[in-house]
Amino acid sequence: QGTQTTGANSVPLPDENLLNILSNVAPYINYIPLFANQPGLRKLVNLTIERAIQEIIGPVVERSVTIACISTKELILKDFAMEPNEEKMRNAAHIMVQNLAGSLALVTCKEPLRMSMVTHLRNLLLQNGFTESISEQAILLEVAENLDLACSIVEKSAMDKAIPEIEENLSRSFSDRKKHRERSAQPYYDMTVFSSISRYMNSLPEPLRLKPSGLLPQQLRVYEDFSRIRMTNQPAPNYEDRGGVRGNGIHRGQDIPLQYPPNEISFDNSQIITAQQNIERFTQ
Amino acid sequence: SNHLHASATIHGLPMGGDPWANATVIELTNPVERERALLELSKKREQYEDLALILWHSFGVMAALLQEIVSVYPMLSPPNLTAHLSNRVCNALALLQCVASHIETRELFLNAHIPLFLYPFLNTTSKTRPFEYLRLTSLGVIGALVKNDNTDVIQFLLSTEIIPLCLRIMETGSELSKTVAIFIVQKILLDETGLAYICQTYERFYAVGTVLSNMVNQLVETQAVRLLKHVVRCYVRLSENPRAREALRQCLPEPLRDATFSVVLKDDVNTKRYLAQLLVNLSDNVVTTN
Repeated sequence: QGTQTTGANSVPLPDENLLNILSNVAPYINYIPLFANQPGLRKLVNLTIERAIQEIIGPVVERSVTIACISTKELILKDFAMEPNEEKMRNAAHIMVQNLAGSLALVTCKEPLRMSMVTHLRNLLLQNGFTESISEQAILLEVAENLDLACSIVEKSAMDKAIPEIEENLSRSFSDRKKHRERSAQPYYDMTVFSSISRYMNSLPEPLRLKPSGLLPQQLRVYEDFSRIRMTNQPAPNYEDRGGVRGNGIHRGQDIPLQYPPNEISFDNSQIITAQQNIERFTQ
Repeated sequence: SNHLHASATIHGLPMGGDPWANATVIELTNPVERERALLELSKKREQYEDLALILWHSFGVMAALLQEIVSVYPMLSPPNLTAHLSNRVCNALALLQCVASHIETRELFLNAHIPLFLYPFLNTTSKTRPFEYLRLTSLGVIGALVKNDNTDVIQFLLSTEIIPLCLRIMETGSELSKTVAIFIVQKILLDETGLAYICQTYERFYAVGTVLSNMVNQLVETQAVRLLKHVVRCYVRLSENPRAREALRQCLPEPLRDATFSVVLKDDVNTKRYLAQLLVNLSDNVVTTN
């Protein structure tokens, strides 16, 4: 990777954005009673969360945003091939890419974050002489208390980074539509997409076809639905209740099993990224 | 459209003309109707040869199916997936399998990177039925991709790290999941780039070799002949790579060398031949005769 080390002892600074996020998060950190009344221990917990997030966030967000953007781009280009209004297209793309990137980031980061937090907290306690008083059980509990908080930061970061990325990926399509509108009153076709779709068009039943007049509100709704609240285990999803925005909030109080099997299998050693590399990526 | 109708009338009902099927595909894009539409279409998907084309090219259907996939992510960790929700997402996966199988939609499906959204399902480890079913159905989609030997598919899978996911399922999954997972690995091995990739470093070879060897030892107990066939095929293929062959001479599990499986393979001429081939490939004193 040709990493340039800036001297073994210098601590790389994470980017300002992340520092900002981390400081905003501080008031939401939970402490189990054992930690709550000791400022020294509270500080170690804060440091643990900070370090674990710094370690995980870079590669998880990068991968999630990349995948989300590719899928969003391909499906949007296909579905909006005859939609002349770039704002409708942009709106749908933003909603979809944020949901996909956030969902992927969250599902990917959870176990690595848990393991990283446990390791950091254990090491920090050792380094600061809390060898006897804090049990492994307490470490696991304290980590479980803050896992969702840490995850939501990674999720939020992926959702934020997905927007400029999809803007860039679709910029040509947006500007093509604008130019077309300025030049002509004819219906818009994205020819690169349309030529491959057109031969199926006549076979498609009417409501599933794209129309030269653009998409209907109920069609656009499919994309707007990406912003609905996450599915729950309730049997029948109630359409009327779908008011809320997909939560990137902070969920607390969930029961988290303490011995969830770690995900350690990795096939390609070259792709295992060390904490140091993570931080370097982050500071670039 | 000519092509669509031609293929449709040969193998199944032309969907474009089936009002029920059309109406049901439309319902996929409506969250209120979606669950029932998923169930009904996945049950009847074999009846419509051109279903994959309709699913892909219709407005919003792929987006709706992707929504179904990501909406169960929050139930994966901690594992908390009900049978009901597992069934629902598996019906969506069955429709994706349809798209993955069809020669005219497979590439589009890959280009949109949709298989990657299934990897979090493959990465779960809960042994409960809803999770077993979820993994098996997800493997089915990947299995459908590799079924027809296609270098683009293999390239995609190699670049996205499916192998470790398959290896873990081969080690800990149900017998059915193991069979689909090893089928995928076997297909990757049968591809030239796939074999080269796996044999490129000792770590990769070792990861695959260890899992295969553990499977052999389990097979001594279970005698699952279908699984054994795939294991033997994988070993034969590995033995075709010079470096892997060298390593296998040291580490081929003993039950494959002796008569342990002779009874279970009694009626399976093919696999017996592959096993013999494997032992010939590995024999230490190969004399090339002309």
